Amino acid sequence: MSDLSPMRVVTALIAIAALIALPFLASGATLDIANQILLATIGAIALMLLTGFAGQISLGHAGLLAAGAFTAGILAQEIAAPFWIGIPAAALTGALLGVIFGLPSLRLRGIYLAVSTLALHFLVVYVGGEYETRRGFSTGILIDPPVVFGFEFWDPVAWYPVLLFVAVIVWLLARNLLRSRTGRAWAAIHDTEPVAAALGINVARTKLWAFVISSAITAMAGALFAYYRGFVSIEAFSLFVTIQYVAMIIIGGMGSLLGAVLGAAFVTVLPHAIEAASALLPSSGGLAGSIFAMNYAAFGLIMIAFLVFEPGGLVGILRRIGGKRGTR
Amino acid sequence: MSELVVDKISLSFGGLQVLNEVSLSVAEGELLALIGPNGAGKTTVFNCISGLYRPTGAVRFRGQDIIGKKPHDVAALGIARTFQHGEVFARLNVADNLMAARHLAIGSNPLSEMLGLPGARRQERAHRAQIARILDLCDLTGLADTPVTDLPYGTQKLVGFARALALGPSLLLLDEPSAGLTREEREDLAYYILKTKAELGIAMIWIEHDMQMVADLADRIHVLDYGRSLADGPPGAVLNDPEVIKAYLGTV
Repeated sequence: MSDLSPMRVVTALIAIAALIALPFLASGATLDIANQILLATIGAIALMLLTGFAGQISLGHAGLLAAGAFTAGILAQEIAAPFWIGIPAAALTGALLGVIFGLPSLRLRGIYLAVSTLALHFLVVYVGGEYETRRGFSTGILIDPPVVFGFEFWDPVAWYPVLLFVAVIVWLLARNLLRSRTGRAWAAIHDTEPVAAALGINVARTKLWAFVISSAITAMAGALFAYYRGFVSIEAFSLFVTIQYVAMIIIGGMGSLLGAVLGAAFVTVLPHAIEAASALLPSSGGLAGSIFAMNYAAFGLIMIAFLVFEPGGLVGILRRIGGKRGTR
Repeated sequence: MSELVVDKISLSFGGLQVLNEVSLSVAEGELLALIGPNGAGKTTVFNCISGLYRPTGAVRFRGQDIIGKKPHDVAALGIARTFQHGEVFARLNVADNLMAARHLAIGSNPLSEMLGLPGARRQERAHRAQIARILDLCDLTGLADTPVTDLPYGTQKLVGFARALALGPSLLLLDEPSAGLTREEREDLAYYILKTKAELGIAMIWIEHDMQMVADLADRIHVLDYGRSLADGPPGAVLNDPEVIKAYLGTV
């Protein structure tokens, strides 16, 4: 994991140079996509910790993003809370919801656990929707852009370094965690719970920590998303968002932080790529209306293709190109 | 004094009685072999001790009844075990398999680990030094960073043995450690078991089918048959017991 072959060092340096150069070269629209990738990366790392490392399935990811976004939105709306209150509050809300989302995991696993987290997704979305209608924000809540030392964060160029910084920090926190006691316990319960228990690992506590940490990071990503967009609406957190995040970790490569990043980039860019491709087709007028349908269809096909042909995901492909051992 | 006393435990699955008043004990520094035909209930006894099953009767560890305790609480008392098929953690390398068994001893919490606080790092280093000794004891030092799935079956089982030792137990339960091993690997295993006994002086209960190994290594033998205790005593006496020969050994 920590081997510093020249190939890896060069790749890493090129990647860092590209990340630094991007805001100076890219247009506003491109930078907006980059920012979306960074936001998705934070959320995907959170889900990767839970599913790819601790082995717990959750379909509540959009609900947790919504919980974070709404915590920030409601605090901004009701008490004019600035972002430095909104973001920690969102993380705390996420952590608390993580306990609730995680409780079913103590009894259920696999598809049953997935369905129970799905129920909680609908609960969060219902509460958010109720708030919107009761308070008369039926189209959503507006949030003022964060202000730091008189500087207003409102355009993609200003946001890019912030989101890049947060994404890198989240990556480092996740990496530290995976290399210590908690990360090993997650791997152990992911492999076999009775054996982990017989070696002194409290399986229930280990699972709950996975849900709490993952949910706190996810809710924080939701709050960042709300500040970035300057707007929160429950419409933005459909079940399709959950499916997108699950797709990110599958396409990127289960059990790999790099996989979470690659998957986030792939899934975020895909609809834009499809749009661009369809614009090149001669009969683009007729296709314009069906771009959403095409997006869904392409999405499904790619996910199936990865599950069948490359279960190791993009990371698995990279490893093969790099001549490294396979993922399994 | 006995480390562990199993006192008339019985267990049924539905109408099937798998253990019928089994009683045995093992003392500090003693190697007790637990033998018997397939289905006699040997692994079931282990599962009762380590908290996976809840029999009637009593299992006393240093005088304290441990029946009904959760498996991780049993481990916390200092009872470790291996599994018939190794059951190493496939997602971890050899060193991290052992570190996973240091879980109870490592006192860091997820927040300090995430932030990489000095306390968490110090703990990590200290426990890495601890497991280095066990890796050394089992001649696994050179394989510390190898993913366990890259190892041959026999070596994986040895990792399972080392992992149980990493818990720092005062009672070690070995579930058929030699099954599936080559002759050479068995000889190595015998050496590690004796070395563990000599260097750590802990109590061990050892389920084994290789009667030659049992005769050579065990201090005492306990024989199970159809969930009942059939015989208990020094190897010479038990292996020549007509009842034991009839039930298990057959004509030698």
